[in-house]
Amino acid sequence: MIRRRIVLLAAVSLGLAFAQAPAPATSGPPILAVTGDVPMPPMLKAEDLAAMPREKAMVPEQDGTEVEYEGVPLREVLKLAGVPLGKDLRGKALASYVLAKAHDGYEVVFTLGEIDAQFGNTQILVADKRDGKSLFGYQGPFRLVCPKDKAGARSVRMLETIQFVRLQK
Amino acid sequence: MRGIKPQLALAALVIPLLFVVIALAEDSYSWNLPKGFPRPPVPADNPMTPAKVELGRYLFYDTRLSVNGKSSCGTCHKQELAFTDGKPVGEGATGQKHSRGAMSLVNIAYSAALTWSNPQMKELEQQALTPMFGEHPVELGLREGDSLPAMLRADPKYREMFERAFPGTADRFTVANVTKAIASFERSIISARSPYDRYHYNREDDAISDAAKRGETLFFNQHLSCFRCHGGFNFSGDSVGEGRQREVEFHNTGLYNVPGKLSYPAPNVGTFEFTKAPGDVGKFKAPTLRNIAVTAPYMHDGSIATLEGVLDHYAAGGRTIASGPNAGIGHDNPNKDQLVGGFELSAQDRQDLIAFLQSLTDEAVLHDPRFANPFPAVR
Repeated sequence: MIRRRIVLLAAVSLGLAFAQAPAPATSGPPILAVTGDVPMPPMLKAEDLAAMPREKAMVPEQDGTEVEYEGVPLREVLKLAGVPLGKDLRGKALASYVLAKAHDGYEVVFTLGEIDAQFGNTQILVADKRDGKSLFGYQGPFRLVCPKDKAGARSVRMLETIQFVRLQK
Repeated sequence: MRGIKPQLALAALVIPLLFVVIALAEDSYSWNLPKGFPRPPVPADNPMTPAKVELGRYLFYDTRLSVNGKSSCGTCHKQELAFTDGKPVGEGATGQKHSRGAMSLVNIAYSAALTWSNPQMKELEQQALTPMFGEHPVELGLREGDSLPAMLRADPKYREMFERAFPGTADRFTVANVTKAIASFERSIISARSPYDRYHYNREDDAISDAAKRGETLFFNQHLSCFRCHGGFNFSGDSVGEGRQREVEFHNTGLYNVPGKLSYPAPNVGTFEFTKAPGDVGKFKAPTLRNIAVTAPYMHDGSIATLEGVLDHYAAGGRTIASGPNAGIGHDNPNKDQLVGGFELSAQDRQDLIAFLQSLTDEAVLHDPRFANPFPAVR
């Protein structure tokens, strides 16, 4: 089982940079770090996300504008890091959560149950494009987008870290 | 003959249709909105037309729409000041002062609630009646039944404009049509061409300075949370597009905390004036920040002179007034919005935030001849 997961990670990494801790916020290409209790925490650059399975979502904003976000489903990012999903999401694994952290310290919690296709199957994107253009300024370079949410507060802008936390081991 | 009849019938159908199409084309109003800007809501009984907008512009700037011929809507809503007047509080035709400042009319078409604190004032047509006929305070000082309709009917220019704006109506020169036209003109004042718009929507990276870009990030930073009240494309707390509903939020920002039953100095007690709910004392609307650099002084009563002063107020989490009738520690106002908690700003942060706010100034809307006073300077 463990060997198969390692092989899977190696196969899909395709040039992804891996490290044990997120890089400090310095100049250089922006990084999205997946950290916490995962086998091999990936450090994702824009080109890594571009090579992963991607989805689009139209998101109405409160003022009536509608924008198209594009990015990688959060579950795909979590799969890459070895977070238990699919048939592995059972028992103690269900007592786990994901903490999305922004550059300015903003944090939002998601459960695996709402993300996983067998449970809530909620579309949550790690977006890097808005209306076909790369996210920039206060929005980017990465942000979460929760198209099904009525309020926008979980759509974490300036996303830097996705931390996986197990409450039971 | 047999072949002609169908042609005649077709012509009989098509020709009137063509007239309708041409008439509709003349009447259709083009918003020319850039990406990111929704179509504004417009009341069903007052659709936008170019003729109505143009008539509204004349009425907006016509000082004959005041008790003494000295003031117009444009007196307190000057184009070069983003349709504010540069004064702490408005001043009516007779010199009587309003208790609050003249709000910007830029992008007013998107406002789900008008004025500083009245949650029920939602239509520009309705709101226009207040400055025209209101007595507390007197603004334009008009009275129902006075000579306004007669003046309009007697003016050849207005006769022509009313006929185009309200065709097919028996009596066009009514107060209702005046407010419809003024409201249409006000809705047409769209500000969407600031340097920030070029940066944010058109991706022109050089449109704003690096300082403004840093300021933008600070503005949207959770520690400052400016965007939580001044959010969306219009940087306001009440903007809404066509077909949308929005609960407008009003905020007590800790500007005052005077002793007594009401913590804000009368008569500016916020939405409490209308709801009588004690928790609404001191709550006012978060206005648009577009063109904010040209709309000093700030806050509902113009009591802060500069943008730097506004930043000081929010950084302190409320204003402290050491002496005088309004002395008090605004930070401790019981109704203060929890978002106004205070924050630290470096000198650089302060400059960056100001640079960002300045990048919202839309010189085009401040000088667009479509929104300018059509009368010679003497009027």
